[in-house]
Amino acid sequence: MQISTVGIVGAGTMGQGIATTCAAAGLDVLLAERSPEIAAGCLEAIGEDLDRDIAKWRRTESEKKAILARIRLVAGLPALEAAHLVIEAVPEDLELKCALFRELDGICPPEDILATNTSTLSVTEIATHTKRPDRVIGLHFLHPAPRVPLVEVVRGLKTSNETFAASREFVRVLDKTAVEVFEYPGYVTTRVMLPFLNEAMHVVMEGVASAEAVDTAMKLGYGLPVGPLALADRMGLDEVMRWMQYLFDELGDLKYRPCPLLRKMIRAGHLGVKSGRGFFEYEPE
Amino acid sequence: MKILVLNCGSSSLKFQLVETDAAAEAAGTDRTLAKGLIENIGSTAVLKYERPGAKPVKETAEILEHKIAVERSIALLTDAETGVLRDRSEIGAVGHRVVHGGERFKASVRIDDAVLEGIEDCFDMAPLHNPPNVRGYRAARAVLGSVDHVAVFDTSFHQTMPPEAYVYGLPYALYQRHGIRRYGFHGTSHRFVSRRLAALLGRAHDDPGLRVITCHLGNGCSVAAIRGGRSIDTSMGFTPLEGLVMGTRCGDIDPAALLHVVLREEIGSAEVNALANKHSGLLGISGLSHDMRTLLEAAGQGNERARLAIDVFCYRLRKYIAAYVGALGGVDAVAFAGGIGENAAAIRAQSLRGLDAVGLGLDPATNAAAVGTEAEISPSGARARVFVVPTNEELLIARDTFRIVSGLPPA
Repeated sequence: MQISTVGIVGAGTMGQGIATTCAAAGLDVLLAERSPEIAAGCLEAIGEDLDRDIAKWRRTESEKKAILARIRLVAGLPALEAAHLVIEAVPEDLELKCALFRELDGICPPEDILATNTSTLSVTEIATHTKRPDRVIGLHFLHPAPRVPLVEVVRGLKTSNETFAASREFVRVLDKTAVEVFEYPGYVTTRVMLPFLNEAMHVVMEGVASAEAVDTAMKLGYGLPVGPLALADRMGLDEVMRWMQYLFDELGDLKYRPCPLLRKMIRAGHLGVKSGRGFFEYEPE
Repeated sequence: MKILVLNCGSSSLKFQLVETDAAAEAAGTDRTLAKGLIENIGSTAVLKYERPGAKPVKETAEILEHKIAVERSIALLTDAETGVLRDRSEIGAVGHRVVHGGERFKASVRIDDAVLEGIEDCFDMAPLHNPPNVRGYRAARAVLGSVDHVAVFDTSFHQTMPPEAYVYGLPYALYQRHGIRRYGFHGTSHRFVSRRLAALLGRAHDDPGLRVITCHLGNGCSVAAIRGGRSIDTSMGFTPLEGLVMGTRCGDIDPAALLHVVLREEIGSAEVNALANKHSGLLGISGLSHDMRTLLEAAGQGNERARLAIDVFCYRLRKYIAAYVGALGGVDAVAFAGGIGENAAAIRAQSLRGLDAVGLGLDPATNAAAVGTEAEISPSGARARVFVVPTNEELLIARDTFRIVSGLPPA
């Protein structure tokens, strides 16, 4: 089936980013948002993000116009019946997502693929709330979705090969690269990156090197565009903490134990870029 | 013979139905019967269609792929009300514009499996253009069945350039490994205009002593130096970015300047590519528009950046024309074509200013009067003559297609 209309549920940061990505690839987007407050501001926020792209010569004014013209905001889920693929990007709450998939299952034609952008919850479990578990899949876009060229395509236990193949083709149409991942906590990106950030914090805590020294060493030594501590600051230290705790709880291995220094910094209100201070200091925007 | 000419972009399809044959070509009486444009394929597409003597059609429709776009085009051409054909079997052949033919395709060619493979081998060098060209071919073949298809390349006319014109001053290994060299584009237009120019001069187009310079000035701009009907140099290079300042492209630039921008602005290769191709040129300098008409109007009202953009544009063009006079060892005629070349008398005048030293000059009255029409604009008795020659790439694609499917030698 040719996917030309994509439904997106949730117009928060991720939903906006996925909508922009799809519209930039020439697809029509139906963006469903229940909260009138979020809905009211979301097209403006997408426009502002596109303005930042224009300022950095990533896009042109006419491309911005075309992208915005392809995104249609809808209030309720029934409008998503017209979509060929629906991607859910609502908050990470299992009950919320399961209820949503039950509802989508009743609205969308049975051949449609239902995808979740979850990074922590089980695709397999969400799929059990539909009559089409073979057509449920995870599409894990990373933030900021329009600029990260990767999507983790996450197979639940019952996801069919056809659903996977169609999803991979969809990712290709978005001009991104898909990696096939079998559902497991943290997938690939989070599972490999978070312990790396955590270890960098241990190095600082143990007095082996300063934060600047750790980031300089890792950037120059391995050709990384950004050091691990600056990256943690950008992600938000509370988010990093939440992730480590999740991996630790799910996998029970000590190597996922959150670094005590991380815990202490969060208690002090040092959350990274968003609070003006983390491992480094930041000017307010 | 009625030839369908297709020019297929990533989400667009331009089509023309042209009636031509050997006699009509010789007499210059071959003509476009109808033409159309479908944009935004893959979603809600916008379709425009017109036929001389009938009301233009404009509609929107869901057109998800090129095959459906080709179907729709043929439906319009055969429609009882809008059409010009009784049925699709009247289409004698299909001519396709293909952007990049690399070093393999030195002339237009009938498309078979081997040719298709050759075009696909050039995907790497024209990732935005060749794949949709092939998609258009596959769509037309699926819709029209056994009719012959011909590929006409933007690059092939410039394949006669000698190595000293096409080799870059880079390590030669890059040419050998990746085909990094100058190819040139707009070949169909330069070929059409230079032939017409020869006819206007009353000389055979392959007269070995004939030296002409053709300026294709549209949204993309290029100049070609042509001796004896063969291109010996052109301003575009490995991609259509090199050479003249264009609507949104920077043209010639020191590559180190872009490397510096990468560091200073913390951007990547995709951004640099967009910066140089979509945000530069007339638009980038003026900060106002890529459209020369808008800039001429603004400059007339005192807008200094619009004036500067025009000055840079004309100065670069003048340098190229003078350089090609040198490359050709003199010049017999210069032609202006494309939207700017055919319509903007002020740009033609400014670009030739000071070139009287090499025998190039304009008659102000005839230059000002030549808007969108063929005309000689140099003063009578001039050593080198200057013309406005409206280009018609589709017509040349149709003529090539007719000759190839009829087994005639190339014109």
